[in-house]
Amino acid sequence: MKENIRDKTAQNGETAQCACPIISSKDFNFYYGTTMGVKNITMNINPCSVTAIIGPSGCGKSTFLRSINRMNDLIPGVWTEGKLVVDGQDIYDKRVNLVNLRQQVGMVFQKPNPFPKSIFDNVAYGPRLQGITQRTALDEVIEQSLKASALWEEVKDNLRKSALALSGGQQQRLCIARALATRPRVLLMDEPCSALDPLATGKIEDLINQLKNDYTIVIVTHNMQQAARVSETTAFFCLGELIEYDLTSKIFENPSNKKTEDYITGRFG
Amino acid sequence: MRPGIRIAIDKIFTVVAGASVVCLCLVLAGVLGPMLWRGGSAVAFKGTVEFRKMQLVLFGRGDEDKIAAESRQAEIARAKIYSTIEKFKGGIDSEALIDKAKQIYRQFGNDLRQTDRTAEEVAELRSVTRQIRDRLESAFASSNAAEVNESLAYVLNFKDDPRFKNTSAAGLIGLAEQYSKDIHGINLAERQRYYQEIRQVEDILTELLGPAPGTATPALMMNRFGATRWDLAQKLLGQLCWYEEWIKQGPGQPMVKRLTPRSQRFAGTEIEGLFIYIQKNLPEMLKPKPTFYWQYFIDDSTPGHYFGGVGPEILGTLLLTILAMLFVVPFGVISAAYLVECASDNLVIRIIRMSINTLAGVPSIVFGLFGLAFFVLFFLPLFGAPSKGCILAASMTLAVLTLPVMIRASEEAIRAVPQTYKEASLALGASRFRTFVKVTLPAALPGILTGVILSLSRVAGETAPVLFTGAVALGPVPKSIFDPTRTLSYGSYDMAVGDKLAAMVPHNQFGMVVTLVLLILCLNTVAIILRSRMFKKLAGH
Repeated sequence: MKENIRDKTAQNGETAQCACPIISSKDFNFYYGTTMGVKNITMNINPCSVTAIIGPSGCGKSTFLRSINRMNDLIPGVWTEGKLVVDGQDIYDKRVNLVNLRQQVGMVFQKPNPFPKSIFDNVAYGPRLQGITQRTALDEVIEQSLKASALWEEVKDNLRKSALALSGGQQQRLCIARALATRPRVLLMDEPCSALDPLATGKIEDLINQLKNDYTIVIVTHNMQQAARVSETTAFFCLGELIEYDLTSKIFENPSNKKTEDYITGRFG
Repeated sequence: MRPGIRIAIDKIFTVVAGASVVCLCLVLAGVLGPMLWRGGSAVAFKGTVEFRKMQLVLFGRGDEDKIAAESRQAEIARAKIYSTIEKFKGGIDSEALIDKAKQIYRQFGNDLRQTDRTAEEVAELRSVTRQIRDRLESAFASSNAAEVNESLAYVLNFKDDPRFKNTSAAGLIGLAEQYSKDIHGINLAERQRYYQEIRQVEDILTELLGPAPGTATPALMMNRFGATRWDLAQKLLGQLCWYEEWIKQGPGQPMVKRLTPRSQRFAGTEIEGLFIYIQKNLPEMLKPKPTFYWQYFIDDSTPGHYFGGVGPEILGTLLLTILAMLFVVPFGVISAAYLVECASDNLVIRIIRMSINTLAGVPSIVFGLFGLAFFVLFFLPLFGAPSKGCILAASMTLAVLTLPVMIRASEEAIRAVPQTYKEASLALGASRFRTFVKVTLPAALPGILTGVILSLSRVAGETAPVLFTGAVALGPVPKSIFDPTRTLSYGSYDMAVGDKLAAMVPHNQFGMVVTLVLLILCLNTVAIILRSRMFKKLAGH
């Protein structure tokens, strides 16, 4: 399979792999104690692109996604093998600064999870961690982030309102704004629309389309239409393995692996 | 099961549940109602003129002129009592009479030395006066009427004797005259008994009306005023009008109390009618007025809580409670944070958890003894503080007592914070510590406040832990945390355990208990309002 992908790279310059990837994993294994989470993942993700990860439940999509900013560290007894490089740095190196890494690699979760604070404080949380305390500087960052997440027009008049008073879609966009406020290079999205209605989902998808100009986005989704709509490249995971990784159009129209085809056409998974 | 039966069981359950709630309410009302009623009488009662005098003297409250006028009126009504008793005592107080006779004789002897009489004359006068004096003394001491009359007649023979005209010895004859008048109508055989019982009456009168006019100001503050409250006055009136005796029935059998009207005990004397007079005129003598004594909550009290309020007790309880909270909240929250966020599930942690649960059930007196042994005897001297019970030691003991409650409540609260909050914070690059302080702790605060409320109520009401570590029944208002203090809980305990004075002021005991309940209620209300505000803020309203 690895050969398969490498072959494509050789054949086509416009494929999933490129010369200077921002995220690059090589033979990456992840274990929960003795159970293997994902195995032998080798993939490169281009900067300023949207990559979708699809696959049946329990196949390791989220595990891999959460490995990219080491959120899995919270679970006791996990360990890894292989290499996972983000922005030129092996993130499982002992010397790596977790705080810096997570500020570089932002994350949006499945369920909107704003803090029970005001909208302002939610977005300001990251910048404040970075030591920005000046009011003017904070105001600027917050306005930028909220504008980038297309929430500014809706909330600019009551930034002091509690974030929990917002609707689900607004909350999720607020979470995106909160992630953007630390000025990350990569944005990880773990099924960001699964708790939202179609209208809110549409807004988030539009937002992803805008954001990809400035950020590298990796999105896990169960919704294959969504993957097709928003992503440029798609990775198909199954049972902890990367089955196929290619341009989205290629995956959906002409997958090279039988399993991918079965999954996409709904015969499996 | 048939639907009919199921519905019937449902209904029975509803009725039983409702009935038990009603029962509980009734029991609560039955317990709290009388307590509130009697405790309320510490604040709202009928105050007498003595109360107003006491307030003026002790606390400088009230209109001086008005009170003076009032007490003058009262004294007019009282005057008859004192004059009657004085007169009665004149006839029966033989010791005082003998003293007087001796004094006059001595005076006369001194006078003789300065006159220009011849030595023979002086010697004769001396012997005559000595005889008069001796006869007088025997008359005073004797309880045989015939003997007394004979002696008095002998003395009165000298009434017109020119040798005694205008000399101090005439006083002796005057005494005899007065005495013959005073003993008229008194059974001399009963004189000893009268003497004792009139002293009793005087004691009760002192309690009822304050010190008799003309006597020195008593040293003890509680003896300086009469009954300050109308209910106390009624009680004393009962004691005054009824003579209480304990009759032995026989070996091994309990004594029996017998009450006889005191007027019967003084039958045939002027005192007999005095009791009815007092009964009738007591309102004039004490001038009861409905009083609302809200200063009860701020006033200091005289020793034994005889007068005054519970100000220092409230202050002490508040100080202890707040200090204990200052100790227990950080410790409890930090311990809970460790148990939830850091500790892994191993044997040591399990033992620690079990210990915490066990500690929550340990009797409070054990904590009291621990506080004495550890804080008072070991910890304080370690830092150079005097090794005696003090606010610091007591509040630390209370903190230890309530630590398990605090830890458990905080643990639950911290555990209840959604994992997603923590994830969100960590994903933004916050450290675990920062996440705890900035996200988890604020979200857990309402739950932690629940722990504070539980601890607060326990701490404020505990007696046993402060018994040996810093509570006193009497004493000055503390000046620092290294002084012992009075507390409401210990105060009511102390009054409950057989203080004779406390029996005279039962309103105080109930007043303290009600104050304690109200204080805890107030503290809890503050905490509950704070908590609901936080809840609202967290919920985004």
